[in-house]
Amino acid sequence: MSRQRKNQSTAIRPGPALKAVLICGFIVVCCVGYVWEKQQINVLAEQYGKREARLRELRNQNDKLKRQLAALLSPAQLDLRVKELKLGLGPPQPTQIWWLPEPADRQAASRSELTYAAGSPRLGMVQ
Amino acid sequence: MAKKLQYRRLLALGMLLVLVFAGLGYRLVDLQVLQHTELQAKAENLTKHIDRLEPRRGNILDIKGNLLATSVFVKTICANPSLIGNRYEDVAHILAPLLQTNETELAQRLFPRTRLDKGRAVPIQYVMLKQKVPAEVWEKIQAAMLTLSAGPDDKKLSSAERTFIENLRKSAVYTEPQDDQLRTYPNQRLAAHVLGYLGSVERTNDGVRSVEVEGVAGIESELNDKLTGVGGFRVTERNGRQQELVALREEDVEPRDGLNVVLTIDSVIQHIVESALAEGLAKHSPESISAMVIRPRTGEILAMATLPDFDPNAPGSTGGSPDAWCNRLISNPAEPGSTFKIVVVSGGLNEGVVTLDQQFDCENGDFLFAGRHLHDHERYGILSVKSIITKSSNIGAAKIGIAMGEDRLYDYIRAFGFGDRTGIPLPGESRGIVHPVNKWTKVSIAQLPMGQGIAVTPLQMVMAMSAVANDGVLMRPMLVDRLQDEDGNTVVKYQPQQVRRVITEETVRKMVEALKTVVTPDGTAANAALEHYTVAGKTGTAQKTDGKQYLDKFYSSFTGFFPADNPEICIYVALDDPKGVHYGGQVAAPIFKEIAEKAATYLNIRPDRDPEPDAQGKIAAAAPDLVSKAMAVRTQ
Repeated sequence: MSRQRKNQSTAIRPGPALKAVLICGFIVVCCVGYVWEKQQINVLAEQYGKREARLRELRNQNDKLKRQLAALLSPAQLDLRVKELKLGLGPPQPTQIWWLPEPADRQAASRSELTYAAGSPRLGMVQ
Repeated sequence: MAKKLQYRRLLALGMLLVLVFAGLGYRLVDLQVLQHTELQAKAENLTKHIDRLEPRRGNILDIKGNLLATSVFVKTICANPSLIGNRYEDVAHILAPLLQTNETELAQRLFPRTRLDKGRAVPIQYVMLKQKVPAEVWEKIQAAMLTLSAGPDDKKLSSAERTFIENLRKSAVYTEPQDDQLRTYPNQRLAAHVLGYLGSVERTNDGVRSVEVEGVAGIESELNDKLTGVGGFRVTERNGRQQELVALREEDVEPRDGLNVVLTIDSVIQHIVESALAEGLAKHSPESISAMVIRPRTGEILAMATLPDFDPNAPGSTGGSPDAWCNRLISNPAEPGSTFKIVVVSGGLNEGVVTLDQQFDCENGDFLFAGRHLHDHERYGILSVKSIITKSSNIGAAKIGIAMGEDRLYDYIRAFGFGDRTGIPLPGESRGIVHPVNKWTKVSIAQLPMGQGIAVTPLQMVMAMSAVANDGVLMRPMLVDRLQDEDGNTVVKYQPQQVRRVITEETVRKMVEALKTVVTPDGTAANAALEHYTVAGKTGTAQKTDGKQYLDKFYSSFTGFFPADNPEICIYVALDDPKGVHYGGQVAAPIFKEIAEKAATYLNIRPDRDPEPDAQGKIAAAAPDLVSKAMAVRTQ
């Protein structure tokens, strides 16, 4: 064995070296990729968390505005404001409304075709 | 020799090492295998958290989409007294006005204390300060805590003092991780009896007691399952500052929010009704006053109100009257009085037992039947069936009932829906009291037609009148129009439901003709007549009873619909024990008129009556003027 070693060339053989470099490179890329991926997961998770918080905040704001709108539109509130501002506003009287002729109503469905929730018509007197 | 000694030492060392490794190995097996489950649970307990995700309770809306009830996410404010130290008075001074609590009491709660845990004194790190605090108030608290002074010269503080101040400002006051919900009713008392309110209910599940918030009255209770939604959960990890590590979430099941309930109630009509009732309450001082507006064609309830009422935002503060929680329109059956005459007259006409023009002797106001004297409020002689309705003659109605016979009268009472629940989706509905024929006394046949000896709910009464208005078909009352998801998509749409046909269209025509006369000057409810619409209705003035005898108290009501020949709405008004005048035509009819006029204008109901001549003159002058003005604006 030792004799053979003495006969061997001291020069690095390119094949195995390339293989070693490739393996090392692969391992390094895998490691870096893994770390990068983990970092991306963390960054995305952080962004996700922030966006969730923002969404929650916007929903709360939306709810708050809805409540404000409901309070402002409440008939009692409107009534009060009209009285406060003394605008003289009020619903129109039937005489102030102009009625346009409407097309004739469609004939209602025949009563005999109707079904009743409480079963057939009672008392046996109406059809 | 020396070599032997070395070997021995080496052997001893080797054995020692083997022993150490064996010990370590045993410990490893002990930790990783034998105690694995227990330790894993402990480790998970320290890092993993299961957050319960609360579903948002659905809103309640009126038919136009106006918000009647909604939920707000609110905070539970807590404090860590061990981080507050001797600054508890300063913190209480800042928090008391924001939390609207007493400063001294708050300072006492923030005072650092200890508790005994296995014989050791452990500082208390959790004090709950207030529940249901709006998010805006929490933001103010955070801002106020940051302004907390560190002392006269904060540059000279030691590092320990700096840490204390930082903790005091940022961590001493905090909120529970889970938000709570607060139910709010933006219109305060509007439709309080329909909406109901929420309450805390204690439940025990597998021996674990929990307090849950759920509807205990009104729609909140009846549709609690639909409104509540389904909870979600999240398995996640937190860091030392209790911040969630989003990347380490394992399971994330979103909650499904409750459905929004859209009622048939119109908040404007509800307001019109409640305003009119408030005026009636002030004027006649009854024990209670109630009203309802219904579309007879569909059974949709547009308004339902009873006073005294309560504010569902604070249902506990009813001003000392527990009756204020009671929805009298569905829960309190009472003798209806003369409004019930529509049942006997409809039945008599429908069966051909009587005709509208048939005449009855009303015995000059005193009729002895089965040993009992029946009276009219005035002495009437001969009256036609139509006039019996117009004048509301008890004796006339009793004679029609006698002509019909017990069985037929009972059949019509039941056919109009009395003695059965109407099926309105509200809790606590009474079916009233309708005795079967075999339990009737001899005088029952004469008493029932005038609305005595029977107890009905106002809802049953108004549905019966609506049946007359709806060509003789009894409808099921409709209070919920549809259920929507959070995006406004309709999930369930409810349709009007016909219960049964009670009387023929021909009978309806005759009944409407008779009921129209009630609001004429000859009738009992001239005060209910409308200028632009023909009204058909019936008054009722029932003497109240304590179960043994009749009292000097009255239940006055008016039920009517308009336009009489093409009814759009049916209105019921009742006063329980009005002071002073007590006839339905005097106290309930004017309230009916006020509600009807405003509701008709709001609903744009086409008038079916010509206005008075002078009013017509005004229109003739005003209308062309308006049109010419409009034309002038357009041409400009």
